[in-house]
Amino acid sequence: MTFNEIMDMLRGIIYTTGIFNFDFRIVIMWGVASFFIYLAIVKKFEPLLLLPIGFGIFIVNFPLVPLMGYSHQGYPELIRAFYHYGLEWEIIPCVIFLGLGAMTDFGPLIANPKTLIIGAGAQLGVFVTFTGTVLAGFTLKEAASVGIIGGADGPTTVYLTQLLAPQLLGPNALAAYSYMAMVPIIQPPIMRLLTSEEERKIRMKQLRPVSKKEKILFPLITAGIIALLVPSVVPLMGMFMLGNLMKESGVVNRLVETAQGSLMNICTIFLGVSVGATMTADRFLSWKPLFIFGLGLLDFAVCTAGGIFTVKIMNMFLKDKINPLIGSAGVSAVPMSARVSELEGLKADKRNHLLMHAMGPNLAGVIGSAAAAGMFIAMFH
Amino acid sequence: MKKMLIISITFILIFQNIGFSEIYFLGIPVIPNARIIKKDTKRIEFVCNISHDKILQFYKKFLKGKKDIKIREWKNATYIEDDGNRKWHSITIYRKSIQTGTLVIIKKDSWTWIIGTLILRFVGVFVVLMTLLIALSLSGKIISAIVKRMESKQEA
Repeated sequence: MTFNEIMDMLRGIIYTTGIFNFDFRIVIMWGVASFFIYLAIVKKFEPLLLLPIGFGIFIVNFPLVPLMGYSHQGYPELIRAFYHYGLEWEIIPCVIFLGLGAMTDFGPLIANPKTLIIGAGAQLGVFVTFTGTVLAGFTLKEAASVGIIGGADGPTTVYLTQLLAPQLLGPNALAAYSYMAMVPIIQPPIMRLLTSEEERKIRMKQLRPVSKKEKILFPLITAGIIALLVPSVVPLMGMFMLGNLMKESGVVNRLVETAQGSLMNICTIFLGVSVGATMTADRFLSWKPLFIFGLGLLDFAVCTAGGIFTVKIMNMFLKDKINPLIGSAGVSAVPMSARVSELEGLKADKRNHLLMHAMGPNLAGVIGSAAAAGMFIAMFH
Repeated sequence: MKKMLIISITFILIFQNIGFSEIYFLGIPVIPNARIIKKDTKRIEFVCNISHDKILQFYKKFLKGKKDIKIREWKNATYIEDDGNRKWHSITIYRKSIQTGTLVIIKKDSWTWIIGTLILRFVGVFVVLMTLLIALSLSGKIISAIVKRMESKQEA
């Protein structure tokens, strides 16, 4: 064997390593990944999602890793397969909604259906952000997918973005889940700014007990109305209501356990890793994702304000006043934003527990953001 | 020499007329030989002696491969909409021929449309949840009444 042959062999080995194909931009992405892993592990911010998302960002930003491409035979590589079958086929968000439905008790919403209006009012930011995003030069479809971040509903954001602007899936999902995790930081100052001490002390009537029959009827009525008015969002809401019907029926406990346990956990892993893996350096390092993060925050703030103002407007016509602090829970982010309402309420009056009251608009927010997504899908898809 | 120059200019002018006979409105070609009924900076309306299907084919060919274009088939017209960032917003090709031919309207992308549709859709979210509110209130009242009646029967 000659010296040149040995050198050729060595060169062949070096060419197949990541070091030879190194690009300095990926170091920035490692930083981004580390930040989200840090938020998940140290700060405990939405760890179930931010941890796999962070790792997805990290692992995909190495040269030559066979994860998001296609093999020579044309088969999708590992994470590409999760992404293709889970997200491109719109399966994972819907299955996660099935699990969420199986975990949700709609009692507070059924007991006080007026809170549904708060869930609609809290979608204000979605539409305001849409306008801002169009002004910034995004296409209408991209603007719709960015706007929905304010709805603070992860699966709905993923579902809508995948349908309308899949190129923004990574930044949008990351912004949505990050801001959902930061609800306890973002919402309280806005809540205090927009409400008076007197308003924060409003005590609400205790909720009436809700019968099992009502709870069983609720998913059927809701699924029927959504299917009639916003059919485009039935894959999401239909699964949500199926999960809830299974739970409330009380006859399929094994299925409920699977839906809210193993099935949802498996889907959460695939969702997190796939979303993270879409964020390669060449896609992420541009002005658009940074802009999305900036506008997402504004979106969240306007949605919070929208919910509070809706309560204030409702109070003009209601005999039994509603505490405007529960308005902020209309942004969805179940149950985090309802907990924030409870905590802010307790700060004003130590005996005023708002958690159950806030769960109403909180659940209405899930339906409201899905309805807003349905409006956008009907418009652009 | 003068003659040559005049001939050349004439040729150029003729050639120009042939080569650039198509009129463009906001980057969209107006069907050749169409009669323009109305034109301002925001919209153009024209009529041509070609069937709806042929006009649609013409625009489909022109827009082929372009992103964010959506074609909606309405009862009385075909509506081509741009969801991207182009200067024009829509091309409406009417199905029924009016006396002089098929009517086509091209509209400019406008903020009035964007804001208008957004407000409508925001109201739409309220409509969905209000419908749900009415349905829940009604079903709640019906079920409560039934339960009360059953309880009073049992007590009796």
